[in-house]
Amino acid sequence: MYLRPSTLREACEALVEAPAAILAGGTDFFPALADRPPPPRILDLSRIDGLDGLEIIDGVLRIGARVTWSRIARAPLPPCFDGLRAAAREVGSVQIQNVATLSGNLCNASPAADGVPPLLTLDASVELASSSGTRCLPLAAFLLGNRHTARRPDEILTAILVPVASPDATSCFLKLGARRYLVISIVMVAVLLEVAEGRVRSARIAIGACSAVATRMPELEAALIGASPAALGSLVRPHHLERLAPIADVRATADYRSEAALELVRRALRRCDGAAA
Amino acid sequence: MRFDTPATTNPIDQLKVIGQPTDRIDGPLKTTGLARYAYEQHDVVANQAYGYPVGATIAKGRITAMDLAAARRAPGVLTIVTAENAGKLVKGNFNTAKLLGGPEIEHYHQAIAVVVAETFEQARAAAALIAVDYAEEAGSFDLAAARDSAEKPEASDFGGPPDTSVGDFAGAFASAHARLDQTYTTPDQAHAMMEPHATLAAWEGDKLTLWTSNQMIAWGKADVARTLGIGKDKVRLISPFVGGGFGSKLFVRADALLAALGARASGRPVKVALPRPYTFNNTTHRPATIQRIRIGASAEGRITAIGHEGWSGDLPGGAPETAVNQTRLIYAGENRMTATRLAVLHLPEGNAMRAPGEAPGMMALELAMDEMAETLGLDPIAFRTLNETEVDPENPKRPFSQRQLVECYRIGAERFGWDRRRPHPRQVREGRWLVGMGMAAGFRNNLLATSGARVRLGEDGMVTVETDMTDIGTGTYTIVAQTAAEMMGVPLESVIVRLGDSSFPVSAGSGGQWGANNSTAGVYAACVKLREAVAQRLGFNSSDTVFAEGEVRSGNRSVPLAQAAASGALTGEDSIEYGDLAKTHQQSTFAAHFVEVGVDAFTAEVRVRRMLAVCAAGRILNPKSARSQVIGAMTMGVGAALMEELAVDKRRGFFVNHDLAGYEVPVHADIPHQEVVFLDEADPMSSPMKAKGVGELGICGVGAAVANAIYNASGTRVRHYPITLDKLIGGLPENV
Amino acid sequence: MPEPGSLASTRREVVAGGGACVVAGTAAPPARAQEARKGTPNGAAFPVALVVNGQRRELDLDTRTTLLDALREHLHLTGTKKGCDHGQCGACTVLLDGRRINSCLTLAVMHDGAAITTIEGLGTPENLHPMQAAFVRHDGYQCGYCTPGQICSGVAVLDEIKAGIPSHVTADLTSPVALSADEIRERMSGNICRCGAYSNIVDAMADAAGMTDAAGRQG
Repeated sequence: MYLRPSTLREACEALVEAPAAILAGGTDFFPALADRPPPPRILDLSRIDGLDGLEIIDGVLRIGARVTWSRIARAPLPPCFDGLRAAAREVGSVQIQNVATLSGNLCNASPAADGVPPLLTLDASVELASSSGTRCLPLAAFLLGNRHTARRPDEILTAILVPVASPDATSCFLKLGARRYLVISIVMVAVLLEVAEGRVRSARIAIGACSAVATRMPELEAALIGASPAALGSLVRPHHLERLAPIADVRATADYRSEAALELVRRALRRCDGAAA
Repeated sequence: MRFDTPATTNPIDQLKVIGQPTDRIDGPLKTTGLARYAYEQHDVVANQAYGYPVGATIAKGRITAMDLAAARRAPGVLTIVTAENAGKLVKGNFNTAKLLGGPEIEHYHQAIAVVVAETFEQARAAAALIAVDYAEEAGSFDLAAARDSAEKPEASDFGGPPDTSVGDFAGAFASAHARLDQTYTTPDQAHAMMEPHATLAAWEGDKLTLWTSNQMIAWGKADVARTLGIGKDKVRLISPFVGGGFGSKLFVRADALLAALGARASGRPVKVALPRPYTFNNTTHRPATIQRIRIGASAEGRITAIGHEGWSGDLPGGAPETAVNQTRLIYAGENRMTATRLAVLHLPEGNAMRAPGEAPGMMALELAMDEMAETLGLDPIAFRTLNETEVDPENPKRPFSQRQLVECYRIGAERFGWDRRRPHPRQVREGRWLVGMGMAAGFRNNLLATSGARVRLGEDGMVTVETDMTDIGTGTYTIVAQTAAEMMGVPLESVIVRLGDSSFPVSAGSGGQWGANNSTAGVYAACVKLREAVAQRLGFNSSDTVFAEGEVRSGNRSVPLAQAAASGALTGEDSIEYGDLAKTHQQSTFAAHFVEVGVDAFTAEVRVRRMLAVCAAGRILNPKSARSQVIGAMTMGVGAALMEELAVDKRRGFFVNHDLAGYEVPVHADIPHQEVVFLDEADPMSSPMKAKGVGELGICGVGAAVANAIYNASGTRVRHYPITLDKLIGGLPENV
Repeated sequence: MPEPGSLASTRREVVAGGGACVVAGTAAPPARAQEARKGTPNGAAFPVALVVNGQRRELDLDTRTTLLDALREHLHLTGTKKGCDHGQCGACTVLLDGRRINSCLTLAVMHDGAAITTIEGLGTPENLHPMQAAFVRHDGYQCGYCTPGQICSGVAVLDEIKAGIPSHVTADLTSPVALSADEIRERMSGNICRCGAYSNIVDAMADAAGMTDAAGRQG
C-alpha cells in the first residue's frame, strides 16, 4: 500500500491503522532493501506541508523533517552550525545530499550516521508527532542503539530542534574512511567549543562509528574547561575516550578506531581553535 | 592467413590511421546515452517480460522444500522456473558450478529459480514470496585454514604446469649471501563492473537469441547450446556494448540461462539483470591467495635462487589462481622453482579477473623485490636491472621477442624524479604527511589466439567490418575501424564496424589483454582478402596494388575504390592463425610503475599523489584509448592496494560486503592525475599488426608500487593486502 | 561570513522558513489526493506526469517503480543507467528540477509534475553538449556505462561551482569557489567509474568549463 497524505494529521491517522515504512528522502530506504521488494506499506511524506521549514525562532533552529543535507550545507547559519554543515558536505554524494534528509539520517539510526555527532554537540532534540499529540526527546534519548530509536510505530519525526549556541561558539566535524568519498565512516568526531577571554568556557565533543550510538565525551569535555585553546590537543588522553566501544569490522579494527578517534579529536579541537582565532 | 614468420613491412606500417590517437568512433553514442546495452533492447522484440532471480541463502547443502504457491498466485506472474521444471541442463564447459542450482546447492546466491512476470516490480515482489527450506552442510570457507589440505592441480592451457624447477633451488637458497623468505596475502576481489550481468532472451521456434553482456561470444554460444542441449546453430548471441567485464563476463552466467529458461517457459521474450548484490556471490571473483616467496642473492645483488609458491581455493572442479607464473619469466637466476596449490573452498566460484595470475602475483613478487633490494642496500631499480634477462630463464635458448623493461625503468625514473627518492624510509615530511615513492616492474604475457573477420566493400564505397569481437570499453570499435581504414586506404569515416554478434566470424574475443592484437590481425587478414578481390575485379596485378586516399593504384592506373564495387559489393573473409612463433620466442609486455604517496602521520590515511606508468607493449594501435586502458588498470591497482577486499563470512560461507558501499573501489578523489608513456615499439613476432596487449599490463605491479611507496613514506611494511589504515597505524612515528 | 551574493537564495529560504522550498509541481488533483490518503495498493496503476527533457509525459505507474525504472522501462530512455539500484554508484544520475539526484533512490510517484533532464536531453550525436564533446575529446570513458551519469553530474558540478556552493575541499568558504582539479574530483566522487577514466574525466570537465567561460552557456 502506498500512502501519500497531504496533512500531518492524515499521516498520523494512517499510522494508527497500521505501521508503515516512512519515506522522506529515500536514500537509506532503497539500499536497505538489498534485492528484496519494498515493504508492503509505505507512507510518503513528500506532499505534507510544513515539514520543509528551516528557520530560527526564539533562538532555536527548527529543521523540518524534509530538509535535505544540501539545504543545510547552503544555509547561512551561525558558526556553531559549521560542524553540521561540514557533515552535510560529506554525507554520501551530492546526488544524495540533494534528497537525503537529516531526519531520515536520525530515524535510520546507523552507528555511522553522519548527522548524529554534530547534532549531539548542539544539544539537539527531536519532535515526534502522533495522533495522540506531540512530544520532544533529547537526541541522546531518541537514539537507543544500532538501528533502534525511541520512535513508536505510530509516530513521525517532524522536526529537529537545535538551540543556537552563543555567537562565540565554533564547531567542526571530521570523518575518516578507507576511501576518500562515499565512505561509510570508520570514525567521526564533532566538536563545539565556546571560548571566552582566552579560556574554554564549554566544550562539547561527540564521537560516532565507535559505539552502537554516537556518544558525547563528558569526561573529556570537563577536562578541557578553563584550558587555553591552543593547548587543547595535548590535554586529550586515551582514558577520556573510555566510553567508546568500537567494533572490528571489514572497514577497520577496534584498536585502529580507538587510535584514530584520539587523533581526530585532537585535530578537531585544533581546528576549532583555529576557527576561533 | 597463417602467421608463422615474423612480419615484414606491410600496409599497417604506414600509420596514417592506425597508431593515431583518434577519438573513439562510438563516443557520440556512449556520451549521449544512445549506446544500447543488453537490458536496453526495447526495440528488438515485442512483448518483453521481466525475470527476477532467486538465490540460495546457504553456501552448501540441499533444498529440502520449495514453496512456490504464493509466488505463483502473485499479481502479474507468468511462470517460475526451477531446476525441478527446467528440463535437463548440462553444466557449461566454462562453469565450475551450475548456473541453476537445486536441489544440491554449491554456493551462496547460486540461482535456484527465476520468476517471470509482466513487470519488474511484480517479478521482484513474487520472488520474495518463495519460501525455501534447506538442509545446510558444513563447508570449507577459510583459505588459511584449508592451506594444508591444498593439492597439486592439473596443468592447464592458461595456467601452465603446477610445478616448475630449474637447477637446485634449495641448495642455492641455503647458501645464498642474502635471503628473503616472506609470505604475502591478497584477498578475494570483485570485478564490480558498472553494468550488472544482463540478458534479454527470445525464442523463435527452436531458435534462441540472447542479447547479453558478454566478452567471449563464441564461448558463450557454445556453452548456451551445451547447457540447453540444443544445436549451436540454434543459438545467437548479440552483445554490441558491454558495460565493463574485467573477466566477469568471459563466461555465460545465470542471467543468460535464467532469461532463456524463463522465455521458453513463458512463451515470451524475457530479460533478466542480476541485482547488484548477486554480482558478488552469484558470479565469479578473483580468488584470494597466500604466496610464499624466497629470494637468494649474491653480495653484489645477483639473484641465485628464486622460488614462488601460491595457494588459492575454489569449488570442487575449479582452478587455481596462478599467481606464481610471472616469476618463471621476469628475473634471471640459475636456480628457480614455482609451485601452485589448490584447496577446496565452498565460496562462490573463483575465476579470471583482469590479469589473472599476474595481478595478485606481481603484488607479492614486486613487494618482495623491494624488500630484497633494501636488504642488499641496492636501489630497487638497480637491483631489478642487475637481474634483467633477455631470455626465458627456464630455457635460455628461447629469447623474448622484445624486452625493453630496463628502458621502461630508465625513462620512468627520469620522468618521475626517482633521484629525489630517499632510500631510507620516513625521511620526507610535509606537514602531517609522510611522503614516499615506490616503483615496481609490470609484466604480463602476450597471448595469441585465432581471430576472424569479414570485410565488405559496398556499392557506396563504404567498408563494413563484421566480427564477433566485443568492445568492453577497450576501444575495439575504433582500432578495428582504424585497421580497416589503413588497409583499404580510406578515411575512418568510410568504415562501419559491427561487433558482438555470433552471426559474424569468430574472433579472439576480449580477455587476457589479447583482444586488440588478435582481433585487428583478423581484420588485417580479411582486408588482405578484400584487397585481392578488389584488384582482381579491377584487373590489377594484386602484388603491386596500392590502396590510398580512397583510390586503388597499380602502375600508372588509378581508380576510386568504390568503383570496384560498382557492379556489386565485394567481401573478404579470413582469420589470423598462428604458427609457433610464440613457442620459439617468449612474448610478453613490460612496464615500470611509479607511485608517490602521502601517509597521514597520525591516522595512517593514504593519499596517492602521483602515478606514472611506462609501457613497452609493441605497437600501440591507438595511443588515446590504449592510455585509457592503462590508467584504468592503474586505478584498479590502487583499489587492490588500498581498499578492495571481499570480506568472507567464514561461518556461513559468503562475501558479506556485497554491494558498492561495502565493497569499496576507488572514487574520483582517490586518484590523482595519471601519466602514461608508451615506448615506440613494434613487435614483428606478435602479428602483422606488431601490437601486443596493454589492458592488463597496466594493473600488474601497480599495487606493489603503492605498497613500496607506503613503506618508503612510513617505514611500515605491510604484506597483507589491502593496506588499510589499521595495518599501518601501529608503526607510525606518532604512535610509537 | 558567507559571500552574500552566492547565498542570497538560501538566505531568503532561512528567513522565510518553510514556505521557501517550492516543490516543483502542484498538489495532486482532489480525487487523486483522496486516493493517496487512503492508499494505493502495490501494483495498482498510479497516474504520474513528468516533464522529461522538456516534454510532458503521462504515465500510469506501479507505485513501487523508481524514477530510474520509469525512465528506462516505461519511457525507454535507457541512457540513464542502472548500476547498483542502491545509490552507491551514480550511474543513474539525472537532473531533477535542476539538481542532480540518483534516480534509483526515489519513487517516480513522488515526482508528479517535476522537470527531469536526462543524458538524452543534453545533446545528440550530431549536436553534442559541450560536456559530451569534451568527454569524447579526452576519452573520459571506456565501457560507457557510467558515462551518462558522469556527464549529468559534470554539468551539475560546473553549475554548482558557478553558484558558489562550497564542497568538502573548498578551503575558503567565504570567497567564490574556484574551479580546480581537486574541486572536480571531490564533487564527482559520487560517480564511480570502474574502468578508471577519472583522470581523463577531470581533464574533460576542465576543458568544458573553459569553453563555457569563453562561449557562454550552451545546451
